[in-house]
Amino acid sequence: MSLEESQPDTVESAQTTAEEIESLIGEYVLDRDDHLNAPGFVVRPDEVQDVLFRLRDEAGYDHLSCVTAQEYEDRYESIYHLKKYDDPTDEVSVVVPTPTDDPVSESAEPVYRTADWHEREAYDLVGIEYDDHPDLRRILLPETWQGHPLGQDYDQDRPQIVPLREHANPLQEDHKSDAGDTMFLNIGPHHPATHGVLHLKTVLDGEQVVDVESDIGYLHRCEEQICQQGTYRYQIMPYPDRWDYISAGLLNEWAYARVAEDLADIEVPEYAQIIRTMGAELCRIAAHMLAVGTFALDVYGDFTAIFMYAVRDREKTQNILEELTGQRLMFNYFRLGGVVWDLPEPREDFFEMVRDFLDDLPEALEEYHDLISANEILQARTVDTGVLPPEVAKSYGATGPVARGSGIDYDLRRDDPYGYYDELDWDVCVEDGCDNYSRLLVRLREVEESAKIIEQCVDLLEDWPEDERNIQSNVPRTIRPDDDTEVYRAVEGAKGELGIYVRADGTEKPARFKIRSPCFSNLQTLPEMSNGEYIPDLVAALGSLDIVLGEVDR
Amino acid sequence: MEPVVLQSGTATPTGTANASAAGPVTTLPETISGALGLSGTVGDLVGGLIGAFLIANIMLAMTAVAGPWAKRKITAAFTDRIAVNRIGPFGLLIIVADAVRLLSKELIIPDGVDRPAWDIAPIILPFSALLGFAVIPLGSGLQLADPETGIVFAFAAGSIASLGLVMAGYASNNKYSLLGSLRSIAQNLAYEIPLVVTAASVIIFAGTFRTSEIVAAQTETLVTVAGIAIPGWYAFVNPFAFVLFVIANLAEIGRNPFDIPEAPTEIVAGYQTEYSSVYFVLFYLGEFIHIFLGGALIAVLFLGGPAGPVLPGFVWMVIKMWAFFLFTQWARSAVPRVRIDQLIEIGWKGMLVLSFANLVLTAILVGVIA
Repeated sequence: MSLEESQPDTVESAQTTAEEIESLIGEYVLDRDDHLNAPGFVVRPDEVQDVLFRLRDEAGYDHLSCVTAQEYEDRYESIYHLKKYDDPTDEVSVVVPTPTDDPVSESAEPVYRTADWHEREAYDLVGIEYDDHPDLRRILLPETWQGHPLGQDYDQDRPQIVPLREHANPLQEDHKSDAGDTMFLNIGPHHPATHGVLHLKTVLDGEQVVDVESDIGYLHRCEEQICQQGTYRYQIMPYPDRWDYISAGLLNEWAYARVAEDLADIEVPEYAQIIRTMGAELCRIAAHMLAVGTFALDVYGDFTAIFMYAVRDREKTQNILEELTGQRLMFNYFRLGGVVWDLPEPREDFFEMVRDFLDDLPEALEEYHDLISANEILQARTVDTGVLPPEVAKSYGATGPVARGSGIDYDLRRDDPYGYYDELDWDVCVEDGCDNYSRLLVRLREVEESAKIIEQCVDLLEDWPEDERNIQSNVPRTIRPDDDTEVYRAVEGAKGELGIYVRADGTEKPARFKIRSPCFSNLQTLPEMSNGEYIPDLVAALGSLDIVLGEVDR
Repeated sequence: MEPVVLQSGTATPTGTANASAAGPVTTLPETISGALGLSGTVGDLVGGLIGAFLIANIMLAMTAVAGPWAKRKITAAFTDRIAVNRIGPFGLLIIVADAVRLLSKELIIPDGVDRPAWDIAPIILPFSALLGFAVIPLGSGLQLADPETGIVFAFAAGSIASLGLVMAGYASNNKYSLLGSLRSIAQNLAYEIPLVVTAASVIIFAGTFRTSEIVAAQTETLVTVAGIAIPGWYAFVNPFAFVLFVIANLAEIGRNPFDIPEAPTEIVAGYQTEYSSVYFVLFYLGEFIHIFLGGALIAVLFLGGPAGPVLPGFVWMVIKMWAFFLFTQWARSAVPRVRIDQLIEIGWKGMLVLSFANLVLTAILVGVIA
């Protein structure tokens, strides 16, 4: 790790320029394919690992944010979106084209372990095969699925029904392993602690977890494809609300708004940015409240007072959001270039409502700390369990509270500023414990910081001159970005880095719309956290990851 | 159990002394057969059956109030909610509605269950708890039997429940059930011993196993503060043992923070995962009767049994049992569950040592004073 420690000094002072990268990996580069957000280098499919090793070890690109796969008329393409945990604005894309008749590319899994699931998804949905991949199977669709739905020659109109008997039967008669003293246990897809339809294939030795493998895809709703069939201007915005449906709607909408505004070069008025910032942070509080409540539920084992208190406080933010957006869950409030409407009238009442909530919040948080974080049994349960060391977290591309609970100082709101965050006074919460308890503390502290942001936004909005309340910039009715424009942009969602890659093809609909879900990457760390621990710790670790299956499966 | 047996030899003479001081206790079957003018075997049989029917129904009625209604109301109060309030006054008729609902559900019998065991298990649980009530002096003359080994019988009957849990877990052909039943064995082993050893310290004080005499021994005034006589309840005499007993009892009946045999968020519902309809109701009943039996044991051993001012003894007994029920619900709403290894550690390394220390100290103390 000495490399990583020495590297930032040179990296932080100045961003790695495209020329520097070119000189570093020049011998491998076939061509340039720049994206709006980053320089792109085209490399040979059998040299992917060499290039990525060099970029990671010598240029400090330690964060594989996303792997996008797509099929063109004449080729397949895998794009590795690389970033640095120290400076996420320092990005580079590694583009790996493979021929249509033989779509085989070298796997990036030995370099970044997060590539495991990302490449499985690419294989599953697009059909690219990865050499050297440890476990190249379908991940979202059933094992028996025919074809790759995002491929060019896939018949979208032919329905496929996968009967249960064709599945690997999750209720097999005998799951005894060869060794004989372990027990196979299916946790989920319907289990009180899986927070949705997640299936954990668990191997137990007595009460201890030997191995756990997540089986996802039960909630796959083709969100990427839905977005590829919608027009940029209006038809895509309602869907992000449905990825992470745990009241993080506005945060998700911002991910799309940001990427589309970058793509079409749309300015957002300052006033709208402040409203967006306020709304997004309200969503973050709501999401974290539910995360804390359900985590307590997982550890306490019953619907205790904490869950009800958390839901009560979440309810308050939802009431405010309902006033603001007209909806309680599926907001559809952002528009490209701003928001759909101004604050509700009378404005004084709305501000009072928000301020009342903010005034009550410190007391409520005090109560949470009394009830949860100061409880000795809870500490005995969560401290030093579900340990996720920072290097492992980085390798798996963990972001959000999961990364910050492992001591990684990474928050896109500060490191890759958007909206109005860089004008406001707030802090990034980092805890060094790397355990379940740290992740809980990070969430509780982030609620405080979000409250700080909201308060400053309300102050600004209150004093905003009446004739300058511009909620939307002038945006053309139809947006047609230039052909072959590609962009990958991420925002700090409630669960972490929520990124979207869009490739435009000159029409009013995206040619490829790829969602980088924070929960998808975070969930990959579960075996690292729970192997060797007890079942209750596995449950606690899963709760502390705070995943939403809607976002994992998309 | 061993220390208890060892003590029995010495306990008998003092026990007789106490019994003669308190006077012979008329049990409920004797009262009934006397009122009906029956005697001999027929009188014992009829009196016993009617008495048992009466006591069992009182307990089941209490459970019916506790399960569908009181539990919800209490939990709601702890979590800022209202809970059932639509049917009847204070939502009380939900008891009827729930009973109908639960009993009319389909009884699902999964493939591969071990039939006789799977069917017997849900019967064992409530009946083991009801059996324990046979020797509990409920006050106002409501005591079914008063054998010389009363308190030992109560513990023994209560422990049969473990057998029911193991049968349920093993026979269900479900890994969650199996885990739950294994957990319950581990837990009962770890907590039964401290529980009985702590009770033994009370028996050293009282010098008898007879429940009526243990209660009688607590009627003497301990101290008089400002004109109010504080009775010599063993909770006041030995508060340390009281706390130990209450904690061990929580584990024994599997309530939070020791509800790991069920542990809904970890192993779904533990041993009762596969049970539905009537069988589920029987488990549910059994759990609540066990809570009440736990409360009754605490009342008898530490809180003077049915003793109390003004109100009749039976009312006081019920109040004490409900107080313990309330306590379990409070713990449920406020305390996180401990992990299985932590639970075993607390049991073997903490409770066992403390309970033996308590026993030895009590024995020395009683020996010095006597």
